[in-house]
Amino acid sequence: MKSVIVRTASRALAPFLLLAGLYMATHGFLLPGGGFQGGVLLASGVILILLTHGREKVIRLEEDIDWFEAFGAVVFLGAGLTAIIMGKPFLTNLFPGTPIWCIALDIVVSLKVFAGTVALFVYLFGMRAVREC
Amino acid sequence: MIKKIITLFLVLTIVLLIITGLNLEYEDKEESPWDQFVKENYEETGAVNLIEAVLLDFRGYDTFGEVMILYIAISGVIIIGKEMKKGDSK
Repeated sequence: MKSVIVRTASRALAPFLLLAGLYMATHGFLLPGGGFQGGVLLASGVILILLTHGREKVIRLEEDIDWFEAFGAVVFLGAGLTAIIMGKPFLTNLFPGTPIWCIALDIVVSLKVFAGTVALFVYLFGMRAVREC
Repeated sequence: MIKKIITLFLVLTIVLLIITGLNLEYEDKEESPWDQFVKENYEETGAVNLIEAVLLDFRGYDTFGEVMILYIAISGVIIIGKEMKKGDSK
């Protein structure tokens, strides 16, 4: 995008969006929020930079985005299966009494949603539109 | 004619069901699952936010299903997108 105003404003805004996303993803067990919302906020920060500064700024992230996605799914499944190995039902809380389980799964889910939203944007919408920016 | 009779019958049944449902008297003697969650939430999960505890602990299956649906959908998008990318560069 050529507009100086939009580029400057997005550059100032994106770090705060990422910070808010991280905050929401990690504090889901205390405050309203959680993995899905935090992931979408993180993705909105990246998509803002992608729209205004072109693909070159996030090309590295774009190449690895499907690994993030698979990582989220596999870790969630692994957390469920670990409970089976320890002799409990599937997806049992492994750390009862402490919020570790909620925090860990929240971070995993937020990573996954972040990767999913960015990949959706890049592959469905980004192809032509971003190249022309 | 038969269709109209069946429709009338269905509408009457639904109206009757709604009226019956509105007139039911609830007895609050037994503990509902919700009361149990509210009581046991903090000791079991350590999460202050009850919604989070329900999403990730008590009803973990639901979140697991959501995550897997998202995973499958995004996988399809990525596969198709990469094929289109190959076609673009040729």
